[in-house]
Amino acid sequence: METRDLKAIYGKLQALKGINLKFPENKVTAIMGPSGCGKSTLIRCLNRIHELTPGAKVQGEVILDGINIYDSKVDPVAIRRRIGMVFQKPNPFPTMTIYDNVVAGLKLNGVRNRNKLNELAEKSLRMAFLWDEVKNDLKKPGTALSGGQQQRLCIARSLAVEPEVILMDEPCSALDPIATAKVEESIVELKKEFTIIIVTHNLQQAARISDYTAFMYLGKLEEFGETVDIFENPKSELTEKYITGKFG
Amino acid sequence: MERLIDSGLEELTVMVSKMGGVAEKALSVSINGFVEGEDLSKSVHELSEILVNRTVEVEEKAFSLIAKYQPVASDLRIINSYMKVAYDFERFGRYAWDISFVSTRFNAKTVKCDKWIFEYIEKMAEKVLQMVRVSINSLRRLDPELVKRMTEEENEVDKTYFEYLDKLVAQASVTNECTISSVLVVRYLERIADHAMHIMEAVVYVATGEKVTLR
Repeated sequence: METRDLKAIYGKLQALKGINLKFPENKVTAIMGPSGCGKSTLIRCLNRIHELTPGAKVQGEVILDGINIYDSKVDPVAIRRRIGMVFQKPNPFPTMTIYDNVVAGLKLNGVRNRNKLNELAEKSLRMAFLWDEVKNDLKKPGTALSGGQQQRLCIARSLAVEPEVILMDEPCSALDPIATAKVEESIVELKKEFTIIIVTHNLQQAARISDYTAFMYLGKLEEFGETVDIFENPKSELTEKYITGKFG
Repeated sequence: MERLIDSGLEELTVMVSKMGGVAEKALSVSINGFVEGEDLSKSVHELSEILVNRTVEVEEKAFSLIAKYQPVASDLRIINSYMKVAYDFERFGRYAWDISFVSTRFNAKTVKCDKWIFEYIEKMAEKVLQMVRVSINSLRRLDPELVKRMTEEENEVDKTYFEYLDKLVAQASVTNECTISSVLVVRYLERIADHAMHIMEAVVYVATGEKVTLR
């Protein structure tokens, strides 16, 4: 996945000022930066949900498998299936069971075969490291789970439709350290099959789980590189100041 | 803006900087003792022990900073480098003690060496002490400016070391207390110069993030 001169606009505000970034396949890329730098806007542009906000516009290109997802011939709903998203607060569908939450996307896409649904539900829950905890409670409401379990349920839901890329917007910010550790463990496992892009405010989390890190500032990409280099020897003075807490 | 980690880093800097002063003193006392034929091993041993204890303290402080603040970038490089430099200072102390031990073991007051032997040792000791001082000052200022000069001086120390060994083989007709003790001392001096270079490597790493091998 790649962005080319990507610009995002909310009314008169230009939130992204021309981002050029290649996200390495089957790797975890962390996007960091101070509040308001455009990191959440960036990932919302990557699966075309930015444009759902009234007054929001996108310019430039986002390339997935050689195709610009903003091309007029491309169906945004199909794109959102190929590029899944996990949000900051766990948001299981409140009236649905654990099982129905996982297969909701599949049913929307017309999958009706019970065996196929069962198979994908189990596979997704296993990949999200949740299967062992819920396999006997699949009929219980999704909201009956703990916060950490709910977030992994949302991860499983995004995996069920078999996307290529998973976007995560601060997926652990509402979780305790144990739940965070489980989600992080599942993210590191998931990169074997998916490309993962995660927005995080937690520097140590970025250092722990990501292979690459992008640092954004005022709507621009300030620095991008291997995480180990960014955290040991950042090239940009702004990155250095941000990660060492010398900002402001 | 003062950060929570800053006072800890400052404390660590002061600890390492003080170690530099003790290490330099230990070396100059021990070398002086050898050249002047004085047994100063007791005071050198005390200085060496101080350096051993300080190294442990630096390590403990560094670990507590890592555990409490999870430092990154220049903060992490400083902590990592200071731990290594503390070890280099500890080695300075150990070699200083080794040199003074040679003076004691071979009875510094009675060892008779040819004049040229002392001239070599004094020449080498002067260069090595100068390197130690430069490395300590560079560390205090975190300034790698003198790296090139240090590399040249280290090459000269090595050259003097091998020259001395060749000359000793060619000119010393018998193995005696003088030849053995002088060989040990020049060997220790050569190792001290290497550790001074380690310190310069740490200075370069902290200042630029670049990992260099200067030896």
